[in-house]
Amino acid sequence: MEWTKQFGRYIIVMLLQVLLFDQLQLWGACHPYIYVLCLLMMPITLTHSLSMIIGAVAGLVMDIFCNSLGVHMAACILIMFIRPYLIGAIVNDKDRLNEQISLRSIGMEALIKYVVILVLVHHLTVFSLAAWSWSHMGFVLLETLISSIVTILIIIGYNAMSYR
Amino acid sequence: MQNLLKILLRYSNFLVFIALEVAAFLLISMNNAYPRSSILSTANNFIAWQHAQISEIGGYFSLRSQNEQLAAENTALRNRICSMDSAKNNAPIHYEQAKVVQMTTDQLHNYLTINRGSKDGIQRGQGVRNEDGVVGIVRTVGRNYSVVQPLINTLTNLSCRFVKNDYIGTLQWDGKDNRFALLTDVAAHMVVNPGDTIVTSGLSPVFPEGIPVGIVENSTLREGESYYTIRVRLNTNFKRLKYVEVVQNAHQNELEELTNGMD
Repeated sequence: MEWTKQFGRYIIVMLLQVLLFDQLQLWGACHPYIYVLCLLMMPITLTHSLSMIIGAVAGLVMDIFCNSLGVHMAACILIMFIRPYLIGAIVNDKDRLNEQISLRSIGMEALIKYVVILVLVHHLTVFSLAAWSWSHMGFVLLETLISSIVTILIIIGYNAMSYR
Repeated sequence: MQNLLKILLRYSNFLVFIALEVAAFLLISMNNAYPRSSILSTANNFIAWQHAQISEIGGYFSLRSQNEQLAAENTALRNRICSMDSAKNNAPIHYEQAKVVQMTTDQLHNYLTINRGSKDGIQRGQGVRNEDGVVGIVRTVGRNYSVVQPLINTLTNLSCRFVKNDYIGTLQWDGKDNRFALLTDVAAHMVVNPGDTIVTSGLSPVFPEGIPVGIVENSTLREGESYYTIRVRLNTNFKRLKYVEVVQNAHQNELEELTNGMD
């Protein structure tokens, strides 16, 4: 049941990503990749290897949609690799952390830290790999900053709305 | 042996991570090489179909300007038929009309997808133009759709020449503004004025000679450098690109085989 819910959410988020966010092209430097929401909010009971494989598949699907083979895949594998260590580092009260990562289980402060760090790592990886050279570094950093802010706001907003 | 297994088991997560990342980077390097996998790209029918649907919905909002463009295009095409009839024998070129179903203009490696594929005779390496000038070069061909690498992609190089004196240069995009590109390899002894017209050189079979590319916006010659940096305003407006034509040169394969035979 839990997995149907996860998959259903993934489909909806991917539709929003492809039909809405990929079409926006705001200010030329804003490409929020909201699909990482599904990866960040996955249950932590998954084994480490399996979560990286899921990340790889999700990244590959996104790559196919934006013609950038391997870029999103590399970024998603990276954040899924970091994820358990990050949770271990920022969540003090491990008892409340039974299965889900949510506002209820880890609290606002830890949730914001968790989302901000992983989204920044993901976006920075995606944009630098897509640019594939150091000469565009300034633009890559700007792109990362603007896009990450939008993605982070959307993910935090999603969590706040599903709190009740 | 047992120790080795223990070590492998302890670091299994890290090994999975390394293996997956290596796979991802293999895909990236494949993507950056010229002959890329056509299965996993927007030439793929399902993805292209989805992009086509989105473009279909968006299309209703620009019907008016599209109609105007089509009318202008029809006239120009009719004119071209006339001129082609007279020069038939030495211009074995066929234009295949196509519609742009997906396009990015704000990334460093922009691509566009058109609704013509191998069943319409599209081949990798064919040129793509529209009424205003050069658009790009076909990069991946699917059965019904193809992916085009436009001028506004930092990987694209196009050989161009000045109309006024036939001087040759190479056009590249700096990834900044989709209205401008840079012309390089123009030596300092030449006089470059804003407003000079740049056209295709005709040195490769991809484009016939004389298709408009752009006009010189400004040129800078830094002290001590022997080549100009010339900013060229592109004729093609990539933000409003809807209909394009693929240039099919009947002699392209033969010409490419001849040059390949040289190596």
